[in-house]
Amino acid sequence: MPSTRIRLWIAVVATLGLALVGCTRGGGGNQTADQATQATGPIKIWYSNNQDEVKWGKAVVAAWNQAHSDQQVTAEEIPAGKSSEEVIGASITAGSTPCLVFNTAPAAVPQFQKQGGLVALDSFSDGPGYISERVGARADQYKSPDGKFYQMPWKTNPVQIFYNKKVFAKAGLDPARPPLATYQDFVATAKTLVDKGGVKAAIWPAPSSEFFQSWFDFYPLFIAETGKQLVADGQPQFNTPEGVAVGEFWKQLYSDKLAQRELYTGDAFADQKAAMAIVGPWAIAVYGDKVDWGVAPLPTSSGKDPAQIQTFSDEKSVGMYSSCQNRGTAWEFLKFATSQEQDGKLLEVTGQMPMRENLPSLYADYFKQHPEYTSFAEQAARTVEVPNVPNSVEIWQTFRDAYTESVIFGRGDVRQSFDQAAEKIKTLAAGS
Amino acid sequence: MAASAATTSRPPRARRLLGRQPVGYLFVAPYILFLFLIFAYPLGFAVYMSFHDYFFAAPGAVVDRPFVGLDNYTTALADPALRRATLNVVIFIAINVPLTVFVGLLLATALNAAIPFRTFWRASYFVPYVTASVAVIGVWQWLFSSGGLVNSVLGPLAPDPSWLVNRFWAMPIIALFATWKQLGFYVLLYLAALQNISEELYEAAEVDGAGPVRRFWHITVPGVRPATTLVVIAATITGANFFTEPYLLTGRGGPAGASVSPVLLMYTEGIEQGHAGYAAAIGVLLALGVMVVSLVNRYLLERG
Amino acid sequence: MATTTRPPQSAPAATERAVAVNPPTRRSRRRLLPLLGLAAGALVFLFPFYYMVIGALQREPNTDISGAFPNPANLTLDNLRNINNAINLPRTLLNSGIFTGGVLLCTLVLGLLAGYALARLEFRGKGMAFNAMLLILIVPFQLLMIPLYVMIVRGYLLGDTYLGMILPFAVNATAVFIFRQFFLQLPRELFESARLDGASELQILTRIAIPLARPAILTAVILTFIGPWNEFLWPFLVTKRLDLQPLAVALASFIANVASRQANPFGAILAGAVVLTIPAVVLFLVFQRRFQTTNLGSGIKG
Repeated sequence: MPSTRIRLWIAVVATLGLALVGCTRGGGGNQTADQATQATGPIKIWYSNNQDEVKWGKAVVAAWNQAHSDQQVTAEEIPAGKSSEEVIGASITAGSTPCLVFNTAPAAVPQFQKQGGLVALDSFSDGPGYISERVGARADQYKSPDGKFYQMPWKTNPVQIFYNKKVFAKAGLDPARPPLATYQDFVATAKTLVDKGGVKAAIWPAPSSEFFQSWFDFYPLFIAETGKQLVADGQPQFNTPEGVAVGEFWKQLYSDKLAQRELYTGDAFADQKAAMAIVGPWAIAVYGDKVDWGVAPLPTSSGKDPAQIQTFSDEKSVGMYSSCQNRGTAWEFLKFATSQEQDGKLLEVTGQMPMRENLPSLYADYFKQHPEYTSFAEQAARTVEVPNVPNSVEIWQTFRDAYTESVIFGRGDVRQSFDQAAEKIKTLAAGS
Repeated sequence: MAASAATTSRPPRARRLLGRQPVGYLFVAPYILFLFLIFAYPLGFAVYMSFHDYFFAAPGAVVDRPFVGLDNYTTALADPALRRATLNVVIFIAINVPLTVFVGLLLATALNAAIPFRTFWRASYFVPYVTASVAVIGVWQWLFSSGGLVNSVLGPLAPDPSWLVNRFWAMPIIALFATWKQLGFYVLLYLAALQNISEELYEAAEVDGAGPVRRFWHITVPGVRPATTLVVIAATITGANFFTEPYLLTGRGGPAGASVSPVLLMYTEGIEQGHAGYAAAIGVLLALGVMVVSLVNRYLLERG
Repeated sequence: MATTTRPPQSAPAATERAVAVNPPTRRSRRRLLPLLGLAAGALVFLFPFYYMVIGALQREPNTDISGAFPNPANLTLDNLRNINNAINLPRTLLNSGIFTGGVLLCTLVLGLLAGYALARLEFRGKGMAFNAMLLILIVPFQLLMIPLYVMIVRGYLLGDTYLGMILPFAVNATAVFIFRQFFLQLPRELFESARLDGASELQILTRIAIPLARPAILTAVILTFIGPWNEFLWPFLVTKRLDLQPLAVALASFIANVASRQANPFGAILAGAVVLTIPAVVLFLVFQRRFQTTNLGSGIKG
């Protein structure tokens, strides 16, 4: 009798298993790659969910659709979540990505590429040419290790120091020329601000452990100091004397309570709880009338000439996803949306810097009317990107974990913890 | 084949084969089908993943996902983050389970006594249970933030750094939150169990001169033992799988990983960093651990 | 209704007996102690909710002790208005309702069928089915989540549908457990006589067992309701479309992304929390008078 029972179960399992296999198959087009790059027709895109970019996106799509009735573009906001990378990664798996995502983080590109989720833009005959013509020499930072472009560098938010002039004045500091050039100056100023300026923190970057948070505390200062990426030629660059000095600088701010270890719900700078913030030009519209703000270059150990200082780009790219059928249309729309005209509108509507060279002269009218954006346009020419290496997200997470432990919460030696993270990151960057 | 046998000439054999009421198969069929579709198959798939360097690729993409044997498991067992997470589960359970059992039973005993506004009391303990974590976590963050009400009340006694960013306090606060959130359910379990204890036992003990404390220890506690087994096992299982609290309350297992949990690790590894195979190995280890602990719990509690 | 369904061995009867034994003073002292304990406990349990409402109505967040009391000068409905601008509340509430309703429907139909079979029908493999059910409780959902996601979105093409949201929650072992225990409790003769009258098992279930099981159904509804109502990870993965997102998902995203751009982010978050809390609490309060703890109790014995 038991054998019958077992046979019965096997039969049930087998039937169900077959049914499942049948169900999970399918998908995956029969088109060859070449046909796909030519194909035209309706496409779907996602854009970021912040209201300015939505406004720009709607206008672009409307302009395109008016001229291309047979190749309509449907646009949706990127589904909100903790980070859009999760959403895109999951959609790649499910084969439900749209043709283009106007919010693809360069740090996530290696992973999406590994998943087979991205289309190399080199598959279009004018692809690499268009990118280097538009972006210039910086484009090289966006090439993947195989030498191809899996992203179109789109727009950047080069970060600088925003400071609250009123708080500086209240603390007895000169709001026109804030003493922030060197680490020493910065720490002294920070102390004065907290003591006399009536703020809870001199500066309040998010102390949480999301992999990307280092882009807004450690990384900009590291770039300003060294001009290097976190990892170069497979070698971690942050466990150098310069990198450790940046770590020690932040550690001092945290241990002296000039920066807070607790996550602020809301925007500490906008709420006048912090006197400074490291942010890009998108924030100008947000801080607008709330705060009487000024912009200063990032501090360096020796107080470099501001014209030499580089910063983190906080760049977002446009990715074309492999689930896209009508890639011909997608490519044409991508070029349309990154044309000089549309880039100008992006600048106008969002205040973010298109990835083009010579912005101040290219859009001279705009910068005449909005002089507060000029320093960001100039800074945009001197930006450093996240390294385009395998396991990028995990590398950043590894670094962030070491950083929160030794710098923010001051446990253990910075040098040692950076060394340990570097060891692990080296193997990750090698692709294993 | 089996079905045709049931309708033809040899019912006794069919009965022996399928049981007295084979229609039962029809009744449980939808349930079992679902069990296969949304439980057994993904579970099998997860186990398969855990033996491979698995990641999710786009449909139709040609990728290499080699078999790696026990690599994911050995990596997991050596991973300091997972060790910390396991320790956190232990901390969580060590606070949550005893607190749940004692406070839950005490409150249930009080509720079982004849008191005014019984419905009101019962409802108030159950309200946190029916409320979404997303909703109440906002209040807890507000209460326990560095300038929050709790610290205002404590004044100079407030811990520094504040509760949720304090390495020592983050886990206890999480355990307290979970206890607060779940307790209503366990109070109800105990309340139900108390109603099964015969009133005569109490009366007899009172006649023998036993005070309320002795009656509690000698009648109530043994009387609800089956419920305690259930409470301990259920609280242990939920404890081992805690995720929402470190995900939302302490901002992804902060400060600096001090409140990370195994399930949170699975989430970051599997969904954020694309190491599905590794995440699956953590999950399998966790499920095995929970199973062993539940069996041991049951054995200890039922033997005693 | 509340009083008639109360089991005979419950508290009121017990006290009447106690009254006879104890002199009045001792009796009131005996009642006072648990009452005080309960009041203190209830304060701890309810205070965060009270504070949530206060916080949701404050114009400027006030975390001092004085902030725990309503101050008319600092009260406003702006936070509710703000969150209503950021999130389409009626739509997300409707989505939550559909998601939760679908889960409850599946849970009840499948649970009653399976619970009845496991309790009242004899067939081979019954024990195995029961054990498999218990196994579900042990395995963390996150382990299944990713394979499930691939299966449902890629295999069944159910991404961006209510069905895709509902499916993984459609079976609920707790509900089956409750029903099984309840049906086990009912007298055997009830079923035997119906069978002799020639009723089919499905008729027995729908005409006899289910009408009797109303309290058990209520218990199961209240216990399973909160699962889908609170769930934010799964629906978030499955629905990319804003107009399909349940409120818990929208609120979690709001907390993560949008809140920092609000003038009073805590106020806005708490206002959202209030909106998410109210339906659950109201539903519970409406049903709780009929809510039978004994159904759980019978489960413990078995």
